[in-house]
Amino acid sequence: MGGKGARLYWRVQWRRNDGLGALFLVLVLFAILYAILFPGIFAIGAASKFVQGWFPTAMVAAAQTIVMLTGGIDLSVGPMVSLGSVVAASTMEGPLGIFGGVLAMLALGGGVGAIVGAFVAIGRYPAIIVTLALSFVLRGVALLIMPRPGGFVPRSLSDFLAGVHPTAAVLLVLLVIVWKLYQATPLGVGLIAVGDNAEGAYRSGVNVTTARMCAYIASGILQGFTGLYMAAKTGSGDPLIGEPMTLAAISAAVLGGVGFLGGQGTMRGALAGSLLMSIMISVMFFLHLPLVAQYIMQGLIIVVTVALPLIRASMRRGT
Amino acid sequence: MTAVLQRFVIAYSRSLVAYGIVAVLWIVASLLITGFGVYPHLRYIVELAAVIGLVGVGQTIAVIGGGIDLSVSAVITVTALVLPMVSFESDSSGLGAIALSLLVAAAIGAVNGLGIGYLGLPPLIMTLAMATILQGLLVLIAGGSAISVSNATLESLGSTHVLTISASILLWLVVAAICLFWLHGTRSGALIFAIGTNPMVSKLSGVPIRRLTLATYIISGLCAGLAGLLLLSMNGQGYVGIGDPYLLSSIAAVVLGGTSILGGRGSYLGTIAGAVLLVTMTALITVINASEGWRSLILGCLILGMLPLSGRDQSR
Repeated sequence: MGGKGARLYWRVQWRRNDGLGALFLVLVLFAILYAILFPGIFAIGAASKFVQGWFPTAMVAAAQTIVMLTGGIDLSVGPMVSLGSVVAASTMEGPLGIFGGVLAMLALGGGVGAIVGAFVAIGRYPAIIVTLALSFVLRGVALLIMPRPGGFVPRSLSDFLAGVHPTAAVLLVLLVIVWKLYQATPLGVGLIAVGDNAEGAYRSGVNVTTARMCAYIASGILQGFTGLYMAAKTGSGDPLIGEPMTLAAISAAVLGGVGFLGGQGTMRGALAGSLLMSIMISVMFFLHLPLVAQYIMQGLIIVVTVALPLIRASMRRGT
Repeated sequence: MTAVLQRFVIAYSRSLVAYGIVAVLWIVASLLITGFGVYPHLRYIVELAAVIGLVGVGQTIAVIGGGIDLSVSAVITVTALVLPMVSFESDSSGLGAIALSLLVAAAIGAVNGLGIGYLGLPPLIMTLAMATILQGLLVLIAGGSAISVSNATLESLGSTHVLTISASILLWLVVAAICLFWLHGTRSGALIFAIGTNPMVSKLSGVPIRRLTLATYIISGLCAGLAGLLLLSMNGQGYVGIGDPYLLSSIAAVVLGGTSILGGRGSYLGTIAGAVLLVTMTALITVINASEGWRSLILGCLILGMLPLSGRDQSR
């Protein structure tokens, strides 16, 4: 990249932070509060543990963001994570082994993503109702495979993913790098273009169907992997473990400024949103607040971070 | 006359499809399953559908207006818990408590409407945040215990029959008639369609978007409150989570009934069929004695299978 191109790139990237100021400010405030309440966070072990707590939310937030950027929405995130955890916990002790189990997981996630993609991208059905129906299907399959929590995940995998090593942090960095690389490909550019203006993207030569399809497959793989991670973290599979994650994923993405109409928002925003939610829960724990108070905080923070820029904008217009 | 009929069929073809499916399902199931087609059982199905149908009133209006209300399940739970709490001695008929809890439901809807209409928050975000906040408040206030209710009016709502039609079904019919008249027979109802079709053009044409949005979400809160009362009269007690299944089923009923999730198109007529369709499918799955996993799987597949019939999103 030449000098001028690089400058332009960074300027564009900087402008994409617009509207995220409030979120970053709240995030920093909570991070400071957290560091005061729990100074031990700066040790590598404690930091790894913290990232491990954040990791699943970050992953599903990323998965949701990819879909929302195309103008869709995924209401089956939670059941997909549950299904992933159940499948992971029931395949790894078989002949497939850890490697085969991980591959099976990723194939499952991609496969389910492809099914959603087929309905939404090729069939042109509204994503909200397709994924709503699919959430019933996935929940049913997870319950059929494993009616109650059980199964088994090899100790070595649990240690690797959720032990004392900062594996989760490395995986998050990898996620961001892969996302940046994907954004540099025509398909990655098409992803946001399709969400912003599908007709315009089509006329400009973007393969709308492929761009959407790839988004749903990528999202499904991330969700499947989150299921695997949850299984590794808890050491077993649970057909209902993902239930709260549908809402958490949407909340994190929305907190991070990802719009419902598509083409609007950034991955960094969504990750920051998920981090804020994660820190918030920890802070409330240290403040001895009842855990349910986190819901109230989460709702209020969503409204405030989204409403503040809107109020400011309308005041500037003088209406 | 045929022209009017033709116009009606074209305008409501999607809604009519849902009625057709319900009719086919009922006929086939009545022939195959003994005891399905008898009047009390079919009436029971419609009674259950009334709860979804009442939530669906507000949901349909919100969706037609280009929005969505994700806080309906929380509002149902709020009314089901607030009513037993505000019951007082001197209020022997229980009407005072009912009015109070409906007022709370409408107030929640008003907050949604203010946030969406006046602050400009996206409906999904505002109602999702409202649902999250209410969920936290409810657990804090009510905890995990169920609260029993003794309310004379509610009890009679659950047990009275007029000409063998249950009072709950009559309540649904009345609300449905008002909703249909408002949406299709009045100026402000027509403007809801206009806002859903193109908010910018509506605004420039002088449509009072803010006031109508406020009204939409107040209606949605009120209808969810009514559904909560009906649910309470059937259950006898309220608990945290009582309303949870009704969020997804209200959206499913709206979409199965042929209302476009993108706004601007549809009718409550279809939602009625969608609600009955959902309950019928659940009843059929229960009849074949499936486990919870199979029930969920079959219901999901059925909704997916109905998608081609309920119309698709034409825009690229």
